[in-house]
Amino acid sequence: MTAEDNRILVEARDLRTHFEIKKWGFLHQGYVKAVDGVNFTVDKGESISLVGESGCGKSSLAKTILGIHEPREGELIFDGQKIDYGNKEQMKRYQKMTGFVQQDPYGALPPFMSIRKIMEEPMIVNGISDRSQRLDRIKDVMHELKLTPVDDYLRKFPHMLSGGEQQRVVLARALVLNPKLIFADEPVSMLDASVRVEILELIEKIQAERDVAIIYITHDLSTVRYFSRRILVMYGGKLVEKSPVKDLLREPAHPYTRALLEAISEPDASNIDTYKDVPPGEPPSLLNPPAGCRFHPRCKHKIDGLCDEDVPPEFDVGEERKTACWLYKDEEDAEDVAV
Amino acid sequence: MPENDKVLSVEDMHLYYQTSRGIVQAVDGVSFALDRKKSMVVVGESGCGKTSLGNAILRLLPENVHRYEGRCLLNGNDIMQYDNEKFRKNVRWVRAAMVPQAAMNALNPVISVADQVAEPLLVHDLAEDKEEALEKVKTTFDKVGVPRDFLQRYPFELSGGMKQRVALAMSLITDPDFIILDEPTSALDMLTQANIMNVLTRLKDEIDISFILITHDVSTSSEIADMAAIMYAGHIVEFTDAYTFFGEPWHPYSRRLMESVPTLEAEDDTLGFIPGQPPSLLHPPQGCRFAERCDEEFELCSEEPPMFEPEEGHRVKCWLYREGDK
Repeated sequence: MTAEDNRILVEARDLRTHFEIKKWGFLHQGYVKAVDGVNFTVDKGESISLVGESGCGKSSLAKTILGIHEPREGELIFDGQKIDYGNKEQMKRYQKMTGFVQQDPYGALPPFMSIRKIMEEPMIVNGISDRSQRLDRIKDVMHELKLTPVDDYLRKFPHMLSGGEQQRVVLARALVLNPKLIFADEPVSMLDASVRVEILELIEKIQAERDVAIIYITHDLSTVRYFSRRILVMYGGKLVEKSPVKDLLREPAHPYTRALLEAISEPDASNIDTYKDVPPGEPPSLLNPPAGCRFHPRCKHKIDGLCDEDVPPEFDVGEERKTACWLYKDEEDAEDVAV
Repeated sequence: MPENDKVLSVEDMHLYYQTSRGIVQAVDGVSFALDRKKSMVVVGESGCGKTSLGNAILRLLPENVHRYEGRCLLNGNDIMQYDNEKFRKNVRWVRAAMVPQAAMNALNPVISVADQVAEPLLVHDLAEDKEEALEKVKTTFDKVGVPRDFLQRYPFELSGGMKQRVALAMSLITDPDFIILDEPTSALDMLTQANIMNVLTRLKDEIDISFILITHDVSTSSEIADMAAIMYAGHIVEFTDAYTFFGEPWHPYSRRLMESVPTLEAEDDTLGFIPGQPPSLLHPPQGCRFAERCDEEFELCSEEPPMFEPEEGHRVKCWLYREGDK
């Protein structure tokens, strides 16, 4: 293994998570292909965003990587080791190295447990039996997250905290086992604009200090550039574009990404006279996804006989940039369409 | 009815709630006026009283109201003087409708959408019979972009965006003068959200209607706002036209709020934030309610500032703009 490879923390190779649909509980009806052939890598200490609309499979992808769902095909490599979903011992060790920050902090914190209990729980489950050691770790994490004075907070219950404080407790709980990878599912979408940035800055600081990789799941492209360098765009169970954030915002490659960017409102009073160019239709059903490119029924650049028949492979469209779209099948053509 | 250029004007509106821990001053002396055919946005953080303001205008009150007063002129008539029955018959849903928060989940699951949308017409005797009402439903569905073959469908058969359109159709069907939209797009995906905003922009152009959009999403609200009211801790702290608000707002809170809005085009990667928390509406501070988070605080701020109007049509509740100063 070269030094280059050593930077890679997570690698997903052709990951496919399918959920079986049964009729009357036993007759096979088909599969919901929530994650259907996903490839990507995350470096150690990197922050990366996963963007997509609801129902595109981004949560299923997160849960597959966190070991909650088992993929039907494909493999997941974590820190150089292939994850064997059947091996309970290994899964437990693996899951200790991953954390999850939920979208709704209030729903994620059990209302009947004090903050101390909430913070201790993951350590008890993972066999840290020494009480004082547990308390030390809790105090360290809470200091880092500016939940001070710590002793006051430890006695409180979730309902006594504000939304921003609750979200910091959720984050502290995810960090208390020193994970190498954190999945953050829209960590600030439930918070008000004025406290949102505070939390994002805190996450950024912790990430730099602890060298933990963070995958942000979000549907809001306008905030992505404030917290990650790279971005993955997901549509209909597949990744359609992978790119550094800045390049993607300047020059989106895939027609779906372009539509997403077009849909974002900037705070500008002249918007009142303009209409958004929104693609018609709805995202595809993952039970019977369209043949070929999954975006083709809504795409205005559709090439008949190609996009509706063959699944587009990934084409290189720049440094570190890939997109799964037939428009980029040869580079000369790419010049014309990349507006 | 006299011709009046203001569709709605609210003066010194108060709505306090009685709770076991004391009195919550959710709406505390709010005044604004909205021109006919213009739309306004009420922006503010959660808990600032913006939803209560919408409820106060339409008199949708819970049981624990402690104080409900003020003047509310709809087309020049003070609707606060109406008794409940007159208000129900002549105002609510007839002249003024509302799309409440999460309206798409409030649809009745066992009634087809056409029957639900027709209901306000039948309840208010605005249609002769059901036939006529259903005819009106069809044209309203066209306006909001719901295909006509969805008429006999049930809510569970529709996507989130379509349900939101149905909820909008329900508020439009009586041809009201204004509609209060409470967070109409916050639960929707980006593309769907853009779609709904397109529908609202088109309705504004095509029919004689005003929208009052209640939201915390500053960017999206710019799609339909002519005027902007910025609410903080039960007060409107600034009321101005959209160009001023999205360009150069005056009140320190509005300025800090705009700095914390992410944009695609901004040059640097830093966003502002406002340290601290909004005050509790149970025991709001004596003076200016924003003073403790404000970096321009000075001695006058320990008293509550009145609404200053340094410019025609631009009102701001901040001592920095007292007469003869700026």
